[in-house]
Amino acid sequence: MRQVNSEKRFVNSEKRFKAICAVIMILFAAFCVLPFILMISASITEESALMNFGYKFIPKKLSFDAYKYLWAKRETIGRAYYITIIVTLIGTTLNVIITSMFAYPLSRTDFKPRHFFAFFIFFTMLFNGGMTASYIIWTQFFHIKNTIWALLFPNYLMSGMNVLLVRNYYVGSIPTSILEAARIDGASEMKIYRRVLLPLSKPVIITVAMFAGMAYWNDWSNAMYYITNQKLYSINAYLNNLQNNIKLLSMQSSMTEGINLQGLSLPTIGARMAIAMIAVLPVLVIFPFIQAELIKGVVIGGVKG
Amino acid sequence: MESVKRAKKRRVNYLPLILMMLPGIAYMIVNNYLPMFGITIAFKNLDYSKGIFGSEWVGLKNFEFLFRSKDFFMIIRNTILYNIVFILGGTFASLAIAVMMTELGKHKIAKVLQPIICFPNMISIVIVAYLVYGFLGGDGWINNTLLKGDGISWYSKPEYWPFILTLVHFWKGAGYGSIIYIATMSGIDVGLYEAAKLDGATKMQQIRLITIPIIRPMIMLMLLLSIGRIFSSDFGLFLQVPMDSGALYNTTQTIDTYVYRALMKLNDVSMSSAASVFQSIMGFILVMLSNLLVRKVDPQSSLF
Repeated sequence: MRQVNSEKRFVNSEKRFKAICAVIMILFAAFCVLPFILMISASITEESALMNFGYKFIPKKLSFDAYKYLWAKRETIGRAYYITIIVTLIGTTLNVIITSMFAYPLSRTDFKPRHFFAFFIFFTMLFNGGMTASYIIWTQFFHIKNTIWALLFPNYLMSGMNVLLVRNYYVGSIPTSILEAARIDGASEMKIYRRVLLPLSKPVIITVAMFAGMAYWNDWSNAMYYITNQKLYSINAYLNNLQNNIKLLSMQSSMTEGINLQGLSLPTIGARMAIAMIAVLPVLVIFPFIQAELIKGVVIGGVKG
Repeated sequence: MESVKRAKKRRVNYLPLILMMLPGIAYMIVNNYLPMFGITIAFKNLDYSKGIFGSEWVGLKNFEFLFRSKDFFMIIRNTILYNIVFILGGTFASLAIAVMMTELGKHKIAKVLQPIICFPNMISIVIVAYLVYGFLGGDGWINNTLLKGDGISWYSKPEYWPFILTLVHFWKGAGYGSIIYIATMSGIDVGLYEAAKLDGATKMQQIRLITIPIIRPMIMLMLLLSIGRIFSSDFGLFLQVPMDSGALYNTTQTIDTYVYRALMKLNDVSMSSAASVFQSIMGFILVMLSNLLVRKVDPQSSLF
């Protein structure tokens, strides 16, 4: 009897622990979500209500003016959006091709110089020249300032981490006998890579594509360093620039009291939040589908680089 | 049999393999190796009209200026202190989340919660800055709703920012950071917990005596890796979230933001490159040291 009792108490305490975990995690998830709700709410609140009552989780007065503004400004905002999509697509594709092609020879045990090239890659993960040197090299030698290449090339085209990730996958998950067979059939290396290796390494390719895609979509720093021409802004660069302009203006207006902010065609608070909203939207839509892959990728990559 | 041997003996033609690596090699040289030589800029008085090679050498003068400037102490202090808080707090937060998520296990809630807590890590820091502004700005939620009018002008009060930035950092990264621990925990043999339960171990005891010891190597590895990066900071977090506000430099300026501002805002290449090279070299030394430590603690987890 006593034993049953203590067992019961035990099960209860286990259950209680589980319940506490659930509550804390739900609270944490709410903490993660709330800022987004504030953003959405602000984007559909009437501007006067925003001015008078500030940001609210539930709109005081509904209005879709902010999104109408986006539509009216579709030339600039649409262009930024278009540039972001193009750069993300091209950048991600190039990244995946360059990374996986580089990883293939590294995975071949009969390729003797592989140790040298592995070190060549690995060293870039240990040491870097720093931002200033990168900036000078890209602008003074390659003159990428204010070209679309500035959004594509610096930093994101290939990373040592991803090369090692793909190499490990090739080594661990693709039987050498298949490659051997293809070679005996007289397939060229390029053909083996295209016809055998790529189809077999889909999971790791998706992971790399996802890391690269995220990096390109969310990038603002390349634009901040290398782009001053507003026609080449990506959506995040556009948002960043907007923020800076507003800050500059508010500084000026606090110096010269009574300046007419409305006269300068800066987007309203709601409109700013609406632009942020459309920048987040694609990530929000795609993320639930890729998050399982992403977790796998983090695990493969984290266990051993 | 004979033919297999011959096939194996046949010398591999390296040329196509090297050709396949060529784009990657070219990129690494341009993006990573040339800047390494670009470090020399820090030892020169860069004159754009004379070019990098033509500019005169000034030895360690740039570094002397940097070390003497009053900013130097501040940026090193901020970078290291923030990193220490982020490393210790971040590890604890991610571990706690991992334990709780593992406890929820295959429950439906876990499936819904997992993507939600990882999501903040997926958006750009520019947008995070907008979100933070929604709370802290003049018309922000905190000033208008929580403090009912007698608001605080957050963007000109440096004393609050260590807390704000730490909170934002955890909001963004803690969920994502827990993934690696959740994966490690999922590999633990359930039988161990069953046995402990039979012996009457409470949940807390199970965590302390089973979970933590088993994942300790992973914790150590993550800790040491982040110690290797203690001289770098999350550039976006420190530049964007405080909205580049000059009034906050005292508590928000780190090496990375200093390098950026010196180069792009003040046009002071020598200071910028000195700080940037200082960061690279310290980073390299620390990565080597931390790897040495990992090799001592757990040889299998070391990077090399």
